[in-house]
Amino acid sequence: MNALLARFGRKAKPAKNEESYYTAGQLALIKARFKRKTSGVVAAWILGTLVLMGFFAPFFSPADPTIGGADGEYRRGEPQVVFFWDDQGFSLRPFSYSYEKATSKIDLKALAGGGLDALDALTSSGALSSSSQNKFTVDKTQRRYLQFFVQGWEYSLIDLSVAGLDLDIRWDRHLFGVEQGQIHLMGTDEDGKDIFSRTLHAIWVTISIAIVALVVKLVVSLFVGGVSGYFGGRVDTIMMSITEAVRVIPPIPIYLACAVALSQIDLTPIQRYFAIAVVIGALDFATLGRRLRTHILTERNQDYVLAAQLCGSSTWRIIWRHLIPSFTSYIIVDTLINFPYVILAETSLSFLGLGLTEPVNSLGVLLQKAQDPDIQQNMVWQFFPVLVFVVLIMAFVFVGDALRDAADPYSEKK
Amino acid sequence: MITQFFSNTWLLWILLSIGGLLWWRGRDNQYFHYVFNRYWLALATLLLVSGIVFSLMEVLPGDCAEKYIAYKNTQGETITQADIQAERVRMGLDKSLPERWGRWVMNLTLRGDLGFSCAKRQSVNLALGDRFWMSFMFCIAGLLFAYLIAVPFGILSAFTINKPWKDKNPQHSKVEQWIGTVMLSGQKVLDLLLRIISYLGLALPNFLLALTIILLYVFAGEPMPTGLFSDQWASVPWFGPNGFEMEKLYDFLGHIWLPIFVIGWSATALQLQTVRALVVDESSKLYVDAARARGVDGVALWAGYPVRHSISPLFNSIGFDFQRVFNDLPIVAVVIGLTDSAALLIEALSMTNDQELAAGILFLVALVVISMNFITDVVLAAIDPRVRKSVLGS
Amino acid sequence: MMINQRISENLLEIRDLSIDFNTDEGLVRAVDNLSLSIRPGEVMGLVGESGSGKSITAKSIMRLAPGNAIIQHPSQITLNHRGQAVNVLKLRGRDLRLVRGDAVSMIFQEPMASFAPAIPISDQIIQTMQIHLGYDKDQARRAGIELFDRVGIVDPAKRFDQYVFELSGGMRQRAMIAMALSTQPKLLIADEPTTALDVTIQAQVLDLMMELREQLGMAMLFITHDLGVVSKIADNVTVMQRGKVVEAGIADQVLFQPEHPYTRRLLDALPNLDNLPEAPAHTPEPLLSVTDLSISYPTMGSGRKREMYTAVKNISLDLPEGQIIGLVGESGSGKTSLGKAMLGAAPITSGTVEYHHTKKKVKFGAGKAIKRKRLARTAQLVFQDPYSSLNPRMTVRDIIAEPLEAMKLTKSREETDQRVIEVAKRCHIEVEHLRRFPHAFSGGQRQRISIARALVCKPEFIVADESVAALDVSIQAEILKLLKELKDELGLTIMFISHDLSVIANLCDWVCVMKQGELVEQGTVRQIFLAPQQAYTQKLIASIPLLHSSEGRQQRLPDLLQIAEDSVNACQLQGV
Repeated sequence: MNALLARFGRKAKPAKNEESYYTAGQLALIKARFKRKTSGVVAAWILGTLVLMGFFAPFFSPADPTIGGADGEYRRGEPQVVFFWDDQGFSLRPFSYSYEKATSKIDLKALAGGGLDALDALTSSGALSSSSQNKFTVDKTQRRYLQFFVQGWEYSLIDLSVAGLDLDIRWDRHLFGVEQGQIHLMGTDEDGKDIFSRTLHAIWVTISIAIVALVVKLVVSLFVGGVSGYFGGRVDTIMMSITEAVRVIPPIPIYLACAVALSQIDLTPIQRYFAIAVVIGALDFATLGRRLRTHILTERNQDYVLAAQLCGSSTWRIIWRHLIPSFTSYIIVDTLINFPYVILAETSLSFLGLGLTEPVNSLGVLLQKAQDPDIQQNMVWQFFPVLVFVVLIMAFVFVGDALRDAADPYSEKK
Repeated sequence: MITQFFSNTWLLWILLSIGGLLWWRGRDNQYFHYVFNRYWLALATLLLVSGIVFSLMEVLPGDCAEKYIAYKNTQGETITQADIQAERVRMGLDKSLPERWGRWVMNLTLRGDLGFSCAKRQSVNLALGDRFWMSFMFCIAGLLFAYLIAVPFGILSAFTINKPWKDKNPQHSKVEQWIGTVMLSGQKVLDLLLRIISYLGLALPNFLLALTIILLYVFAGEPMPTGLFSDQWASVPWFGPNGFEMEKLYDFLGHIWLPIFVIGWSATALQLQTVRALVVDESSKLYVDAARARGVDGVALWAGYPVRHSISPLFNSIGFDFQRVFNDLPIVAVVIGLTDSAALLIEALSMTNDQELAAGILFLVALVVISMNFITDVVLAAIDPRVRKSVLGS
Repeated sequence: MMINQRISENLLEIRDLSIDFNTDEGLVRAVDNLSLSIRPGEVMGLVGESGSGKSITAKSIMRLAPGNAIIQHPSQITLNHRGQAVNVLKLRGRDLRLVRGDAVSMIFQEPMASFAPAIPISDQIIQTMQIHLGYDKDQARRAGIELFDRVGIVDPAKRFDQYVFELSGGMRQRAMIAMALSTQPKLLIADEPTTALDVTIQAQVLDLMMELREQLGMAMLFITHDLGVVSKIADNVTVMQRGKVVEAGIADQVLFQPEHPYTRRLLDALPNLDNLPEAPAHTPEPLLSVTDLSISYPTMGSGRKREMYTAVKNISLDLPEGQIIGLVGESGSGKTSLGKAMLGAAPITSGTVEYHHTKKKVKFGAGKAIKRKRLARTAQLVFQDPYSSLNPRMTVRDIIAEPLEAMKLTKSREETDQRVIEVAKRCHIEVEHLRRFPHAFSGGQRQRISIARALVCKPEFIVADESVAALDVSIQAEILKLLKELKDELGLTIMFISHDLSVIANLCDWVCVMKQGELVEQGTVRQIFLAPQQAYTQKLIASIPLLHSSEGRQQRLPDLLQIAEDSVNACQLQGV
């Protein structure tokens, strides 16, 4: 624990090894400054864990999140808690119990007898209402032990076939499972799909949409900001007035319109997924475009650029060696800070049912389900994705915030 | 005849006379010259916005003629492709996009006519009615809520920056150090809390917040405060037989806080950070130290110097704050079950594909934002000497 | 005389003041055991370079030290107020107003930044008077306008209600002085009050402060890095270096018989008009000729309405080869534009620049394109700001090698490295430092890197644009020495642009004086400094803060200074 605290603490000081500080490049400086911010470092660890778990979701998931892997025996089931000890004693190996579907005791005889009382009892017991359709009884005598690196459904660990590469590593091991049947740490939904596994898969889907959107956004912003800042004059005026006009219109309705238009086109889920990412990215150029333009304008007037000119550097050399490196850290940080906003845009769309839809696992899709009164009343555990979503965004915000402060290591004069 | 002419072109005359007045005053007055420039720039931006909005709505499937015919179809008439075509010609839908846009803009500038909603089968102005004002009021109330909370707490939070947790000043006595430490820790805890809230404002977006609140009501077993009134009060007039219905007002207040709170939530979080950053930025400037060196202290120092100088940039951002708040409004409207123009917008976009209505609402929002920007620019140039210097030269 | 005085005689007594800064690296000592006392009516000069702890000392007297500054035991600051000894460090709450205005006032270095930008000056002064003197608004207003008049502001009633950015530089500092005096303090702390001003205005402000001090009998703590300024104004001098007092005593004694080597080094940086270099026997051939050169920049507006600001008007000039040519002028005189134009980095609207006796002839000007690479190998620039002129993302080696790599002057990486090492040694940069990044270096070292970069492609001409202005005096001296060495050993021609006449006098062979875009006068250093012909040059020379003994202080040049003021005002009218 102490070692951990020391890692997070302010011990990492350049004073110890001055030469390494003096010869530290931009990235190393940013890293050193970032490490000083404890909240940022903690958030970075959480974020890293979440993203890693999302990327290798199949490995970390105990169950297949698609309908194929749904646990028909355990629909609408509540979370299965893992114990280390119970009345029967302590176990190093965590275990869960076996769950039995409760067969509602309908007194058929009484019913057949036409007793109104029996019918009353039946209705009031709630055995017919949806909430109690799937009541499960816990059999505390039947321990089911957790197993690690279990064999399960086959998945591709890393699949680059999308990128046109012939690399598709398939595997069938999973981090944990349980003997006999499946374990549902966070319960199941109405189809019996494991919430925990769905959430893990959704993290990566959402983040990858955000990545695509941010890349598109970056390209468009770079184009707008670059052209505007570099050419200046009339081009700049026109570009900036268009940007200004776009900035004024609220973006979510526009995403909505585009999403509706997309829904008219017959797209496979994966195409739809990319199309939405592209729409979100392409329409969000106004802020970053404007900032890049200002950045280009200020950076272009810096003394060191003039120095390079006087040294006989060509325009391309100046752009390549001086201007672009001065952008990169800025762009990376800005991109990271924008992650939560883009994720929010995706979830908002999916939430309205216009982004991704069931059966795709995205955080927005899972969040949308939280709107259902049935879920609100009977399956509170389906709010687990909401929790993960909040933690994920918080982690992004904290990391972004710490990075923003660390990003420009040359801002303070020594 | 003449009255009809004027009633058909009234808006144009208003716009022109404002412009003319500004131009006339601006001939020898730098300030009015600037206002005039801003005025026509705002109009130009509006024109651009209308173009963007109008052409964007083209992506929505179907057009008015189809919808109209489909409507007739439900009335039991049989129709052919030729009927649709004829209807298109009648409505001018066979014209090119720029032509239709031109007509739309013309009607808009002449008499503020936003077009005809096919799905609602009435003019957009009528369909919107006071619903747009309702949304407008929601946004303003949400913004007010945000400012009311964010400004004082943001300032308070800025006050604690760069202060240590413990008072270790060797010039203080033990007791003083102890008291100082308690005060400092209190401030720091408050600051930390505010920062977490402001981060949460982003991580817990409006619709999730609304859901959470609804969920709490579910757990408590209370009726949900969705909509604007409870069922029993919805149709009761404000002035009943017993005079003003106070009960209805209570019921209204019991419902209205939810949308305002939810809408204001993320705006508050954002404003907290903005106010904090602005005040921190200003308070590190030399003039604050100089004022301190003259013996200005306490509230007079904070209110008169860093805070006073942070107001302008804050004020300047009102337009875009409004845009941001309205941006969230549709989703919130869906969750809470509001019936304002934001809900209408969602309906128009995703259900009825009502291009004219959606374009009208979006245009109105842009109009509000641009007018707010125009007003803040003009007001700031009048009252803030720094702005005046940068826009007027000297 | 001044060492062992009883407290009651002193207005302010600082004893054993030690201040630490709480930084990420731990506690850093800023002031170490400083003791200092000021009697009523005395002017104490507190001298030191940046980082010497002089400003934080002044701030802690007013209890304005920043939050991370810790005033350690057993520091003591005692103020004698109405016969009572007040322990300043123990003051709390409203009592702090005693040192913040009542008895002590402060003038800051940047008058522009020390007035709130969005509040009229009048409101700020009235507020101060209301707090300390209990005046009502009208009373305060009248008193304020009177003060404005007293500090020599023309049209005080109108200026009083203006905002700070509407005043000129000299006016601002006068207004700042008026502000400080508005509380009728017994002690005035002036923190580098004239550093940001042009020499002629600096001289006026100093004269004003001396006049006021005589009239009001205030004591003054005058903080500066410039011993010339101190000698003009101070009775006693305390010299600080890295938080410690190295020398203290009566001004004449410290300035004319310094004991500490650091004081001597500071004194060496002052111009010595008795020891100016002799002009060379014959005038060398011109290296480059500037003919009828005009430079204009677009200012506000665009398109047809664009207004042009002419920075340089029809200058013709020959620069003699192998000499250091000083180009002097106040801010807005167009000296930097001229220097940049010689390197093809300013918009030339008419005239030409021609290099004669170089490896390859270069000529450019209005309508004649620049052969950029040829020019780059002939002439180079050393910038003013050692921070922004080096790309922070490149190692020192890459920065110095930039011209070689950009123009592909070397055949291999080894050759480049060799050239870089060669020039680095020449500029006294350690070879191990080449792989470091600029953030590892202080201003002086950075300026060496900048010089090395300029020299690596073996140019014949270097423009040094205010290249030592941002540096401390002792570091300035090192850079100037390096430039002299380079001239002597490599036969470089250097044009040294500066507003600081003392630097010019120490360094240059030939001097050109500019004013408002025009060349006023040129000649050898001796001609310019000892026998200036033009009124403007005379005024400039008269404004140099030379070492004065206490008797010599009475000499003033009121008439000449008035001319300077007029010319500055004219400048402002033209929108400079």
